This record gives sequence, C-alpha cells and structure tokens, in this order.
Amino acid sequence: MNSLVAQYSRPAFRNEGFSEREQDEFSQITPPLSLRFAMPPIANPSSFLRAVTDDHSNPNCPIKLAHGTTTLAFRFQGGIIVATDSRASAGDWIASQTVKKVIEINNCLLGTMAGGAADCQYWLAYLGMQCRLHELRHKRRISVAAASKILSNLVYSYKGMGLSMGTMCAGVTPQEGPALYYIDSDGTRLAGNLFCVGSGQTFAYGVLDAEYHYDLSEEDALELGRRSILAATHRDAFSGGFINLYHVKEDGWVKHGFNDTNPIFWKTKLEKGEFSNVTSELV
Amino acid sequence: MLNANSPLASGPSYSFATPPNQTSTNIKQHSFNPYTDNGGSTLGITGDDFAILAGDTRSTSGYNINTRYAPKVFKIGEDDGTGESAHIVLSVVGFAADGNALKERLNAIVKMYRYQHGKPMSVKACAQRLSTILYGKRFFPYYVHAILGGLDEEGKGALYSYDPVGSYEREQCRAAGAAASLIMPFLDNQVNFKNQYIPGSGEGHALEARKATPLPRAEVEQLVRDAFTSAVERHIEVGDGLQMLVVTKNGIEEIYDPLKKD
Amino acid sequence: MFIARSEYDRGIKYVSSFPESRLSSTSNTPPSTFSPEGRLFQVEYSLEAIKLGSTAIGVATGSGVILGVEKRVTSTLLETSSVEKIVEIDRHIGCAMSGLQADARSMVEHARVESQNHAFHYNEPLRVESCTQSICDLAIRFGEGAEGEESIMSRPFGVALLVAGIDEDGPQLYHAEPSGTFYRYDAKAIGSGSEGAQAELQNEFHKSLTLQEAETLVLKTLKQVMEEKLDSKNVQLASVTKEKGFRIYSDGEMAEVVGRVPTN
Repeated sequence: MNSLVAQYSRPAFRNEGFSEREQDEFSQITPPLSLRFAMPPIANPSSFLRAVTDDHSNPNCPIKLAHGTTTLAFRFQGGIIVATDSRASAGDWIASQTVKKVIEINNCLLGTMAGGAADCQYWLAYLGMQCRLHELRHKRRISVAAASKILSNLVYSYKGMGLSMGTMCAGVTPQEGPALYYIDSDGTRLAGNLFCVGSGQTFAYGVLDAEYHYDLSEEDALELGRRSILAATHRDAFSGGFINLYHVKEDGWVKHGFNDTNPIFWKTKLEKGEFSNVTSELV
Repeated sequence: MLNANSPLASGPSYSFATPPNQTSTNIKQHSFNPYTDNGGSTLGITGDDFAILAGDTRSTSGYNINTRYAPKVFKIGEDDGTGESAHIVLSVVGFAADGNALKERLNAIVKMYRYQHGKPMSVKACAQRLSTILYGKRFFPYYVHAILGGLDEEGKGALYSYDPVGSYEREQCRAAGAAASLIMPFLDNQVNFKNQYIPGSGEGHALEARKATPLPRAEVEQLVRDAFTSAVERHIEVGDGLQMLVVTKNGIEEIYDPLKKD
Repeated sequence: MFIARSEYDRGIKYVSSFPESRLSSTSNTPPSTFSPEGRLFQVEYSLEAIKLGSTAIGVATGSGVILGVEKRVTSTLLETSSVEKIVEIDRHIGCAMSGLQADARSMVEHARVESQNHAFHYNEPLRVESCTQSICDLAIRFGEGAEGEESIMSRPFGVALLVAGIDEDGPQLYHAEPSGTFYRYDAKAIGSGSEGAQAELQNEFHKSLTLQEAETLVLKTLKQVMEEKLDSKNVQLASVTKEKGFRIYSDGEMAEVVGRVPTN
C-alpha cells in the first residue's frame, strides 16, 4: 500500500518532460539489448497501427510501408538456391527497384525479405547477432533449425501487433546438410524443399514445381531460380526490377549477380523462344 | 520504401482538422490522431566526392501555409562548444514535429558517440543507427521519410534513404515527400539514365543501355534547382525557398535559393 | 551504534540481531562503503584475489597482440583442454584472465553482448578501448544499486582481464581491474607471478618486436614464473592480428612455439 501511495503521489513536476526511462535512452547512445519498443499512449496500439499503416484496409493511410515481392528458395543436391526480385511498392507507387531482398545474416546463412521491409531487415539483423552470440558461447556454428526457431519464437511474441514478414532461412551445416525453413509473422515455421513467398509466389511456383527435382545440376538450378522469378515479374505487377540470385553451399554462400530483368526477359524470349505471346516487333 | 501518397489524388491527409469519427449510432467518438502532414519535399543526390541534400522550406497543414521558412535539412553532430564541424546531413519530410524529434535524437547520439568512442561517427554507422532509432518506434512510428547524406570511408558521396520504420538502402539519388512522385521520375532519367540507350550501339534489342556515371557538382546543383522549380509549378505543398546542404571534404556548405511564393 | 575497526577491516557485513538497528545505516556496512581512511576494502581485497590467480601475460606488437596463460594442471587426470583462460569476445577482440574464473564468465558474456550490440546498432566492430570500458562499467556495478537501477552483485569481481584487440588504431592491449580502472599497456603480466614477469617484460620489451618474438617472449616469461615445468599442455597462447582476427593456438602450433623457447 505504501509503495502504491509513493508511486502515485509524485510531485506534479516529475511528470513533466521525459520519463526516467526515456532520459536513460537519450543518454545511452547504444541502447541495451532489449526488445522494448515505443508504444502509442492508447488502449489498443495494434488497431492504431493498422489505421495509420495498413494501405490494404485503408488506401488513404498516412504511412505507407513497402510491400509486394517475389522470393523463392529451394533445396537441391548442390545446396540451396535463393532468388528474389527487387521491387518495393507502397500502394501503387514503386518505391524502389533496387531493394536487396536477400539478407546476408552471416557468411553461411541467408534470409529473404517479403512483407514489411523494415521488419525483415531489423529482425534478420537481430537474428544475425543472436547467431554470432550462439557461435561464441557454444564454439560452433548454429544450425539452421535453431536459427529459424529463434526467429519464429521472436515474431510469435509480437503476434497480433502488426509485424508483417514472410521469410525463408537457408543454410548448409555439416549436421543438417542443406536446410531450408519458412517463417512468417503469424508464427508459422516450416521445413521444406522449396518455398515461394510474396505476391508473385503463385507464378514462381508454376515454373518451379514444373521443372524442379532434387538432382538438378548447379547450373540448371541457378537457371531455374532465375526463370521462376522472371515468370513472376512478368505476371505480377508488384514484382520486378532486378533478379537477385544466391547459391548457398556448406562453406558459405556465393552471390550470382543482381541483374536487370529487362535484358533477361528479352534474352529468354529471343534465344529460347519462350513468352511467344509477347511481340518482339519494335515498331 | 518511400512514401507515395500523392495528395494530388487524395488531398492532404490526416491532420488535427480531421473531424472525430462518427459511428453509425451517431455517438461521437474521438480517435487518436497524432499526425499532421506538413507537406514539402526533399531530395538527395550524390557525386564522386560530394553529397547534396535539399528541401523546400514551406510548411503546410491542410491547405494552409504555416510558414515560408521551416528547414527540412539539418547538419548532424555539429558542436559549437568544441568547434567540431558536422560531416553528416539529414533531411526529414512528413510530420515536422516527428522530424524535429528525430533530428534532435540523432544529433545527440552522434555527439555522444564521439565523446564515448573518441572518433567521429562514420556515415555508414550513422545510417545503421538511424535505422534502429526509427525501428524503435515500429509500433508508434515517426511519420517521416528520412534521407541521410555524407561522405563514406573512401571520400565518395553516400546517400541513404529510409521508410518511416527504418528500412534503408544506399542509393545514388532519392526524392521524398509530397512531390516525390513528380521528382523521382525526373531523377531516374537525369541521374541514373534509366531507359536511355547509346545511339548507334546496335540494332533493335541489341541497343546498349547508357551507363550511369557520377555527375559533377555544378550539374547536380542545377538538377536540384530544376527539380524543385518544376515541383513548385505543379504541387501546392512545395514552394517558398530551396535549402541545399552540400557535403564535401572541406565541410558543409549551405545554399539558399528563393522559390515561387504563391 | 559503532562497530569495531577490526570488523571494518575484515569487511564483515555487520547485521545486529536487534531489528531496529537494521534501520541504522552505520551498523549495516555494505561492501561498497568507504573506510574512515577513505579506502574501499572490498575492492582492495579483490585485487589481492587476483594475485592468487594463475599468471597471464599479454604483449602488443606492431602487427598483433599475443596473449599467454599458464594452466595450473592440478591433477594428471585433469582434461587440460577444459581449462579455458583465454576466450574470444569478438572476431577482433580476445581476453586472458586471472582470478576467479566464474566471475570472468559474466564479464566475458557482457563484453560479447556489448560488442554484438554495437555491431547491430552501428554496423561496425566495437573499438577495443570501448569494449574494455564496457567491461569496467560492469565491474563497478557492485554494492547497492542506484535508484531505479538494479544491483547485480554484492561484491566486486575477483578477476582481472587482459583485453587484446585490433581496430583502426592498430593492435592494443588493455588491463582491466575489478576496481573498474583500466590502462593500456605495451606488455603486461597479471596473476601470482606478475611481479617477476612484469620485471622481465620491462627488460625484454621493445617497440620493434615481431609477432614471433612476442610469442617466445611470452612463453619465456611464463616459464620463469611458473612452478610447474612448462610444456605445450600447461600453457596456452592466442593472437589477435589484422588478417586472422582472434585465434587460439592449436596443439601443433603450441608445440612448435614451445620448442622455440630457449632451455636453460
């Protein structure tokens, strides 16, 4: 009771300006590792957030976050292929054509970005830090299963608060071999051979499911990844820009370019005869 | 990543003037409206050894002009006490109060960093820190589109653009704010030479794309002026004055040019 | 209510059995209270605790820093690889310890988290001095917590660290004490043999030492102050260099360096 009285009988001037916690945060240039975020001073923060940031339910919302994507990853005998497009759209405006949607968590783990760009960037960087700490504490690399579980537990604890991310964690470890996990902000965590995520996922699945088998050669696997993203950029208005291609092996990942879709499209059409519904006349 | 809501189509959005929500039972209900769109536009372009950040100085709310001189671009980490000069610039556009709060906070952090680590903060470090500051308010965002400029470790111009909750990317050029949708296509054409091909380099599909190269400073300054004078012609929330901060190895130079005041 | 000087000196936390005396601040002497002479006995005792620890040596050269520790092999049945007295903090920082190992664990964990946290927020490695500073910030958080801040320990740490690392200012060696002070050294010895070893380092150190010479200097000095006969099992070396970062020497490398130490 006394403590309650003490708590509520602070002199009025104490409530002016910043709270002690806020002052702490100003004086500490590097905030401690905590998962405390600023909250709007209202009863229902998530509905407020939805009202101001969700352009799907409210096209006139003031803060539009980046959306729209095609990302894919699949396991094969030579490791894992990860491929993405690079377009970010906010409403019908293309906010960027050069987004790096493959996030290098560390030199052997990759994550992909679909949904909120900031959510993916922040939490995958956070995951990278946790993986490094795991490595220091246990003197060996973290397994992909454990890394993906850290991420899924983390986003699950924010469930319902408005995070938006659909990500894939890809890595090759000696104990697991090539391992691929899908994690989203609902808390889903799935292991699998192949995943496509984003607004263009159905188009990518169409190509990937038709051509995929586990024994693909490295060259064919890279080409399949590229071709699946190309199909998605062709039919999904929210996907486009550049094709970002990675190959994950046991001793780390290798980048296979960040290439403009437009020349790749014309090369595919003119040299392989695909996309025959598109005319190549320049007139 | 960056804001696209074109007030041309939708009209100025959320402000204090927004009436309380009416429910169907005709009971008045107050909603939480912490943001005002103060309009205006910002723009950043980098070159080989410089970075320019520019913004108009008009501040609006709704269809009213609040003031004709409210700067949107700021020097970060300048310390009058020690004479330490700034080498990082920040532009913020959106809700000016959030923008100022963000600027103050980043400024404090950059200064504290130098006291604690005994060296000036690099632009790369500042870019990452700004991202985590913005994300710290993920559930109650700063309504701002920030652009950060400076010189990287090699002395090349560096520019980072942000969305309101902190996703960021290093770019050659970026326009943000009310007239972003007017200025950005202009920059794509004039800075990145998008969809331009070298005449005579081939026939039909074999035409070679024109490569983007860093532009000289005088040319970039003129591009910035052209971008803003054009935006003023077609956007009601942009005008009054153009403020430019140019970062070079010799420090930060401030240039002010008047814009139309109608 | 006064208590005897001797009790102060021993640092005994005096709690009277009378309940009302708990309210009296003079009778309840927390370990972080000054003595009338202006000394903090707990801190001074903690420095003594380090003098009981095994010897650890660090030598900084222009191309990197060498850390060396003696592992006290108290039993032939002891698995020597489980004695960990040199640990990695980050790729570019490592540390050697002397004193209470268990205390060092929480300091090292703190340093690792600070280092990663810095990298997370600033996308750059933490400077060696800032890392040492953060270790020392933890070291003085004993005693009663300040208002609002939770106290984590009732006593100072009983361990000293030699923090070796490399950053844009080149290779650096710091010595961090339980008192929370730290200094930068070219070469430093801590632990039970520190006095003899420091004198030896004083004589032998010069600015133009190569990394290889530093390896032998560390082992030669350790050899002089160790009670046991030095072999490749009861000492451990690590280096921090620009190219390879922090690295603990393998058994093979240890045998090679031990072979280089002059026998006399």
